[in-house]
Amino acid sequence: MKAFEFFSATNSNHAVALLAQHAANGKVKVLAGGTDLLADLKFSVHGPDVVVDISRANDLKNIAVTDQGLSIGALVTHTQIMRSPVIRDMFPALVDAAHTIGAVQTRNLGTLGGNLVTAVPSMDSGPTLMALEAIVTIASPGGRRQVPLSEFFVGPRKTILKPDELLAEIIIPKQNLGKPTHFLKFGLRKGQALALVNVAGSFWVDWEKNTFVAPRIGLGAVAPKVIRASQAEAFLEGRPITPENMAEAGRIAVNDAKPISDFRASAEYRRHLVAVLTKRALEGAWALAQKKRLEGSNGKRHA
Amino acid sequence: MPDKPRVIEKPDVLEKPDILKPPAPAPLVTFPVEVVVPEGRQQTPAVGQRATRADARLHGLGQTKYIDDMYFPNMLFAKIKRAGIASARIKSIDTKEAEAMPGVIAVITGRDIPCNSFGPSLKDQPVLASERVFHAGDGVAAVAAVSEQIAAEAIEKIKVEYEPLTPVLDPLESLKLETPGVHAPSANIYGHKLIKKGDVEKAFAESYRVFEGTFRTQMVEHVPLEPYACIAQWDANGRVTVYSTLGRITLGRADVARTLGIPMSRIRIIATVVGGNFGGKNEIRAEPVMALLSKKTGRPVKCVYTRSEEFTASTTRHPLVMDYKTGVSKQGKILGRKIRLVLDGGAYCSWSETTLGKACILSAGPYNIDNLYAEAFVVYTNKTMTGAMRGFGAPQVCFAYESHMDDIAHALGLDPLEFRLMNAFEEGSISPTGQKLHSVVVKESLLRAAKRFGWNGLGDGNGTGVKA
Amino acid sequence: MVNVTLKVNGETRSATVPPETTLLRLLRDQFNLTGAKLGCDVGDCGACTVIVDGKPVNSCLMLAGQADGREVLTIEGLANADHLHPLQKLFEHFGSLQCGFCGPGVIMSAKALLDENPNPSAQEIRDALGGNLCRCTGYAKMIEAIKGASCILRGEEIPAVKSAFVTE
Repeated sequence: MKAFEFFSATNSNHAVALLAQHAANGKVKVLAGGTDLLADLKFSVHGPDVVVDISRANDLKNIAVTDQGLSIGALVTHTQIMRSPVIRDMFPALVDAAHTIGAVQTRNLGTLGGNLVTAVPSMDSGPTLMALEAIVTIASPGGRRQVPLSEFFVGPRKTILKPDELLAEIIIPKQNLGKPTHFLKFGLRKGQALALVNVAGSFWVDWEKNTFVAPRIGLGAVAPKVIRASQAEAFLEGRPITPENMAEAGRIAVNDAKPISDFRASAEYRRHLVAVLTKRALEGAWALAQKKRLEGSNGKRHA
Repeated sequence: MPDKPRVIEKPDVLEKPDILKPPAPAPLVTFPVEVVVPEGRQQTPAVGQRATRADARLHGLGQTKYIDDMYFPNMLFAKIKRAGIASARIKSIDTKEAEAMPGVIAVITGRDIPCNSFGPSLKDQPVLASERVFHAGDGVAAVAAVSEQIAAEAIEKIKVEYEPLTPVLDPLESLKLETPGVHAPSANIYGHKLIKKGDVEKAFAESYRVFEGTFRTQMVEHVPLEPYACIAQWDANGRVTVYSTLGRITLGRADVARTLGIPMSRIRIIATVVGGNFGGKNEIRAEPVMALLSKKTGRPVKCVYTRSEEFTASTTRHPLVMDYKTGVSKQGKILGRKIRLVLDGGAYCSWSETTLGKACILSAGPYNIDNLYAEAFVVYTNKTMTGAMRGFGAPQVCFAYESHMDDIAHALGLDPLEFRLMNAFEEGSISPTGQKLHSVVVKESLLRAAKRFGWNGLGDGNGTGVKA
Repeated sequence: MVNVTLKVNGETRSATVPPETTLLRLLRDQFNLTGAKLGCDVGDCGACTVIVDGKPVNSCLMLAGQADGREVLTIEGLANADHLHPLQKLFEHFGSLQCGFCGPGVIMSAKALLDENPNPSAQEIRDALGGNLCRCTGYAKMIEAIKGASCILRGEEIPAVKSAFVTE
């Protein structure tokens, strides 16, 4: 690893101050869980001048339901997500997604915020959060701003974050709390594999008409960034919940995807996976909706 | 950055025969006392006793010393600059900037190697490439520095000017006579084996049907959990001691002697505990380089490959292109089989000849075939060299002949197990090379396995495939 | 340079190291705790697994500076003067370590698992070992040993039919 200066932030404000102080003078990198960053730094020819360690900023480690919705601090680890009673109850899809990331050791280090900031198209946190229309809060010297996650990603490994900005929290908006969502990932192995394709399907149910309400589909690893399958969503909106419609949505979602061929899979195979996984993700969300309804808890839009 | 702070006890290792003595003071682990030591002259029963590995306890305590766990006073760390280009002529190597770096003690290139070629069979591999680069993982220069980090930064400062050449990447291309030689003027085909039995063309003519198939396997890296590592120390008497993860130290000693141009009696190779070999640590790699760096600096020098070097600069399993042609009778008896194997040897020979032989001998499978023509070639390409790996070619051909058997059984509408039983070796069968086989249990094994996993209603398992 | 003070295997240790030093390098080069191994250096193989504040992590993916003030347990801290840890005992007994290079990491992962889950299923053990690669021994014997150690730690007898662990 190339030599760099190291500063440890005690909280998010301190982190932002450190970023502001050093971003002007050279390349600064934020270190959260480090599972991506350190692996990168070991191979990079031109490392950063300064690394700001935010792993001690405890104000970024909370999971809470606020006025805005479900707030997940950027430093919440994948293990924390898997064990959070609130998330397990509201969004088993987020738990499933966290479980497919790396292995125990990397999940203990890696953070949700880090996963998003790294912005690799195959990230496992992305599709579910996209399907749930998540919003991110960005902290900067000038204050905080919020943008939809869909605008946060710019391209492979690129986000809108400026050098002196910090991803502070991820919010799943109030109207989507408890929305039945299902996440599926297809990798070449069960453990420690990058996704060839990952998909999250999410929708409310109009139980009287048995139709899709606000269907959302997030697709990963099939475009330069995590995307929504908007054509498939438009097709499902208001249609009856049937296996045929779910399968058709899968076929339409293929048109939303722009996969590439690489050493892991061909574009053609990825398109096939999109169709199959989208259908199955919708089926999973449907099963969850029915289960929630039986339990009398949810499956219906909040008032 | 200055020398990493280390507690160095005494600079002279000759006074310290306990080379495992760590650099830091005070033992940190108190060893558990419950050890069963048999008394002197006591007969220790072996049969019927549960045996544990002699070194298992040290492993479990984390106290086994692999090479990277060893430290010698004043030790330097080396890094090797990799070519990163598949085929090229080296025009110049400029090491000045690296040599000027604080903390860099020595730099060597291929020109510093007394005899720059080695290999377990053909001596076709340079220790460090000096004139020509034959694959991207070739080393072109090496740096010894006071820390691994400085060594890593120094190799980036070495400037190498290449004249790129068109690489040969496809083994089938390489097989063609008009393809330029990877090691021109030598031919690309550097190994050949032919096994002939009966008249295969006549058998095809008499066959009810003849089937053809081409099968390919990929290059496989051994991925030992412990990357390749070695430490060399050249002493004032002109003797060199090498600690190495080598599996074959006597062979390694011969190669080190050859490359360094000194008698074998001056070389001592100490085989350490190895963190996984699988055939990938059967020949020397950077031992001569470390020895020369040690000679140049008068200090022990350690080198540990990175994981990516382990992939690009160590041996791998041969990728094979396997053409099969089989004639069968109406009942499903194999009458004749013709095989052509092309082994992609990569840039250097290594253990290719052994692999070629084994692959060819085993390529017909455990089946009675009276008319056989099996021919195997191994060719050079400008890729990572291939060498020994578990099975020496046997897994590759097994994949091919069993896939081929399945294809034939399927086309003939035969049960794959039935088809194999009809043709499998039995007691006294003659192998392709004329060996009379004893203790043959292919059929018994197949039947027992079929029963175990419930093939076609046999037994109660839920198996889905069959293979001899 | 950064100053690091942390508790390693119950002992407070300090060092001054360059900022780019990983926890793994700190343990191995400064504290001479070479039990944790460098296998891949990118968090794939798990040979460098140590337990930091109760959680198993890849020490190659943590900077020494990040470990400042934390509590680290390495393989060297498992046994005491009188006894091996049951995991070490059973890994030896069941032949769960061949070359042994992955062993310290595997045992630390298993230790962290058993601390949280005293009676894990074979599937839970597989999940816990998902980040530890082994190339010689394979995982069946490790699962047996971890199951057996969980029995010992719970004060129960190890069932006689050991293969029952793996096929459950």
